[in-house]
Amino acid sequence: MGKLSPSLRSARFLVPSLKPSPSSPSPPPSKSPSKPSFYRPSLRKPIKTAKRTTPLPAPPPPPHQHLFRSPILSDAISTFDSLAAATTAPLDPSSLLQSFCNAGASPSDALSFFRHISSSSPSASGRAAFHVLLGHSCLHPSALDPSSLFDLMSDAGFPPDAASADLAVRALCSADCLDDACALLRGPLSAVADRFTYNFLIRRLARYRPISSVYVVIDKLSSVGLKPDLVTYTNLIDAVCRGRNLREATRLLAMLGDAGFKPDCYLYNVIMKGYCMVDQCGEVMEVYNRMKDEGVEPDLVTYNTLVYGLSKAGMLAQAKKFLNVMVDMGHFPDVVTYTSLMSGMCRKGDALAALKLLGEMEEKGCTPNDCTYNTLLMGLCKAKCLDQGMQLYGEMISKAMKLENATYATFVRALCRANKIAEAYEVFDYVIESKSLTDVSAYTALENSLKWLKRGKVYLFTCMALPP
Amino acid sequence: MLKECPKKVARLIDLANLPSNLREFTGGQSQMSHLGFFIRVWSHIKIHKLQDPNNKNLVNCDDKLKSILLGKTQVELSELPTLINFHFPKQPK
Repeated sequence: MGKLSPSLRSARFLVPSLKPSPSSPSPPPSKSPSKPSFYRPSLRKPIKTAKRTTPLPAPPPPPHQHLFRSPILSDAISTFDSLAAATTAPLDPSSLLQSFCNAGASPSDALSFFRHISSSSPSASGRAAFHVLLGHSCLHPSALDPSSLFDLMSDAGFPPDAASADLAVRALCSADCLDDACALLRGPLSAVADRFTYNFLIRRLARYRPISSVYVVIDKLSSVGLKPDLVTYTNLIDAVCRGRNLREATRLLAMLGDAGFKPDCYLYNVIMKGYCMVDQCGEVMEVYNRMKDEGVEPDLVTYNTLVYGLSKAGMLAQAKKFLNVMVDMGHFPDVVTYTSLMSGMCRKGDALAALKLLGEMEEKGCTPNDCTYNTLLMGLCKAKCLDQGMQLYGEMISKAMKLENATYATFVRALCRANKIAEAYEVFDYVIESKSLTDVSAYTALENSLKWLKRGKVYLFTCMALPP
Repeated sequence: MLKECPKKVARLIDLANLPSNLREFTGGQSQMSHLGFFIRVWSHIKIHKLQDPNNKNLVNCDDKLKSILLGKTQVELSELPTLINFHFPKQPK
């Protein structure tokens, strides 16, 4: 339960709000690239994070970023003392602390270090330093109870504010402690937490927990004044669509109307994506029409989803029509649009037309990505255009692109069928070398292709050759 | 994406005790996984340029390779996995 996406798990230190980075702290990592990420729930994140970062005192570029190398408390204290003795300029406590935390110090050591700093220069303790501590202790929640820090903050004259709540919840979520985050929102932070924190938490929960338990949390939180809004509903609908639960999505949609919310562009995008996910791609047209009836302005994501859905449903003529409609509306088709369209063509077996579209796309100044090439290569192999496929593969090598599993398997099978075994082995080498796939999946696909190719012959032959 | 069957994966990557004739090929190493051995043989072919220059799908075995590939002088690349499979029999349940 509560799986963390690998990209988040590897993030060693996530106190995103402390650094004034405009990029969102945890954009949902794009899932399997075989599906174009036609919908980006993170679209409204940038606004959110922009708001989030403003109340925080952004530390100046810390000069002591890599000051502390060992996570041992006594070392850090002696380093700090010598530094304080050497310079007269005031030291920035938050960046010192940050550096100590980054060196791998335990939260309680960090707290002791912080006490040492503030005892030597009483003016040093500020909200930023507390936030560093808070973020660190929430990332390692077993070591130090975050709520004890809130008392400490209040005592020092900095009662936790919305930024503290957001920081704590995000850090706890990335440490995979969703329950602790819920408890914090219900307990000490209920008064200060804002919509963004709340929606972040619900989104996380909806992704990794069964939907019924999310409802329980929503109920509990609404008793402390945090009520679901349109963003919450959008996230919930997105989550249930991911689980292919269309009935629940319909129920949520009705609930949202009852609660007095009017669907916006994002919600329509999510609904469209939901239909694509449950393989009712034809429905996207109806959603689009309803959007137009309601007077909601479609955005780029809407059009991308639309083109994706129509392509998947095989309505290529309509999908192509929307390429022009998009331009009329001032949205230019991007790599996702083109890739969706190409994959639709490949599905129909018209890989050569898709290849032509690639040229058209590059002419218009749109750079194809790994996913585009993978889609095309697979389509070409399936349409028995191996020569063009090998040419495309050559281009992929020159651009150091990775192969996806399905593309690799299809390509190797096609090569083996055409009796280009040596080439298939070269592709096997490339895949391992470029780390596109694990050794096991690369080998399994190769072995399977060869096995089906020569099954009867080799099997009999080698059985006879073996000594009894 | 479909995951491979864990048993099949284990069969490929678990270390196995090599029989003595394979040990000579691996330079005295006594344990190796099925997959590791396959990659070892394939890189041996590449390093010593044993592929037939006229037909890259054929491999002209040198003495070392002969000792592990049932004594054949020439094998097809396509049968390489099958030939190596014989050295890694399925474990009886």
